[in-house]
Amino acid sequence: MFLLVDMDAFFASVEQAHHPALRGVPLVVCGDPERRGVVTAASYEARAYGLRAGMPLPQARRLCPHARYVEGNPEKYVSVSLALLDLYTRWTPLVEPFSVDEAFLGLRGVGVETLERARDVALEVQAEVRARFSLGASVGVGPNKLIAKMAAGLAKPGRVVALSQEGFRDAFAPRPVRELWGVGEKLEGRLKELGIVSVGDLARAPAGLLADVFGVLGPQLRAAARGEDRTPLVPYYQGVPAKSMGHEVTLPHDCRDPATLEGVLLRLSDQVARRLRQEGYVGRVVALKLRDSRFTTRIRQRALDRFTDEEDVVFRVARALFSSWWNRKPVRLLGVTVSMLSPRPRAPQGLAFPSERRTLQLRGQLDALRDRFGEASLVRAAALHPLERPRHVPFHALRHRRI
Amino acid sequence: MFETLNDAIDVLSICTASGVEPLRFRWRGTVYRVVKVSGRWHQREGSSLLHHFSVECAGGDSFELCHDPRGPRWTLNRAWVGAAGR
Repeated sequence: MFLLVDMDAFFASVEQAHHPALRGVPLVVCGDPERRGVVTAASYEARAYGLRAGMPLPQARRLCPHARYVEGNPEKYVSVSLALLDLYTRWTPLVEPFSVDEAFLGLRGVGVETLERARDVALEVQAEVRARFSLGASVGVGPNKLIAKMAAGLAKPGRVVALSQEGFRDAFAPRPVRELWGVGEKLEGRLKELGIVSVGDLARAPAGLLADVFGVLGPQLRAAARGEDRTPLVPYYQGVPAKSMGHEVTLPHDCRDPATLEGVLLRLSDQVARRLRQEGYVGRVVALKLRDSRFTTRIRQRALDRFTDEEDVVFRVARALFSSWWNRKPVRLLGVTVSMLSPRPRAPQGLAFPSERRTLQLRGQLDALRDRFGEASLVRAAALHPLERPRHVPFHALRHRRI
Repeated sequence: MFETLNDAIDVLSICTASGVEPLRFRWRGTVYRVVKVSGRWHQREGSSLLHHFSVECAGGDSFELCHDPRGPRWTLNRAWVGAAGR
């Protein structure tokens, strides 16, 4: 049996738990409320006014001007999330963080074999989360991760829903296929072209047809629609290899000053490269994300001829992509991502020249300084700009946690 | 609304088996008695682990305090300026 514990309006609920003045009122967690940006999280009181995560703040203010807008604190939410993982290990060591506010708990092997007993455990977990953290959680219970995840969707907010495979079919067969975990807008459109509108339609669709149209994904989709899932639970202590690492930032004001934008790219490249080195990866593809003031987003990428974890290399490619694709319109958001990751080899390669060795030694010393004094202790001068203040970056804290 | 401050403050605290906990603190000449620690979290800053506390005081004021064991020193990071920001 599996549980999926999904914290209700997590960031907003943490702030409400920590500050009595925020309880029972519409609350928006965002970046600096004095600047522009988007809603990071909305409390349920704010959602009643139509506010949603990702909504631009001006729109949110129009819909709910009396809401309280507070600056989010990522370190706080990661720390609370880790404390929640600690709590879950009371019931089972098989805990898989799925996101900062969701975790799977595997109950096989700890004597919980029936749906009824798993539901009891879910109620205990929910009550303990409320007692210890003053936070609400929705919990889905099922015989596999897929059903637990989808049951949690039915449980929001604040309930426990337990579904057997038969119960899953009854509950979801009439629902739109888009509600199936993993089906997005594009896939929904392609399924509709085949006359598949509901989860039940997908469960009954000929396997051959789905395989012809979707390849290996076809049978997986059909199995999911039937509530079948063999995805193993990956406990927190095993970790999952990263596929990409990136950072992006919404600028406080639309900007068309090349020097400022290059400074932002340098800082993002530095953050990404630091994270690669901290987590022991090198990458071969650099991607640039560029969103202009009209919300047109471009993502362009370039493969390197060798793997890297160096900010200078990442920055050079990001800057070249930017120069090629920036249409001189004011820029709203910039992002830099490195993908096609591989574990860093133990011995650095290609250090034929003394200058390369010196660069490596220098980078090692700078990393050691920042490891000791924090990320903001050393920042490239070209990356300093009054638009943004340097901040600590909570590198994948969940991945390195030792409970 | 929240006021971000990062003011150095004097704190009367207690050390328990689970760590340090604030009891009272002086800010801008006023002593505030902590009636509830409503949240706690940690933040790594370089090699140091900072301990953060959300505390509720009499009158509905709420604050976020930070204990930095290097020093040691306490700072008041944020205040809910309802009744508090006097």
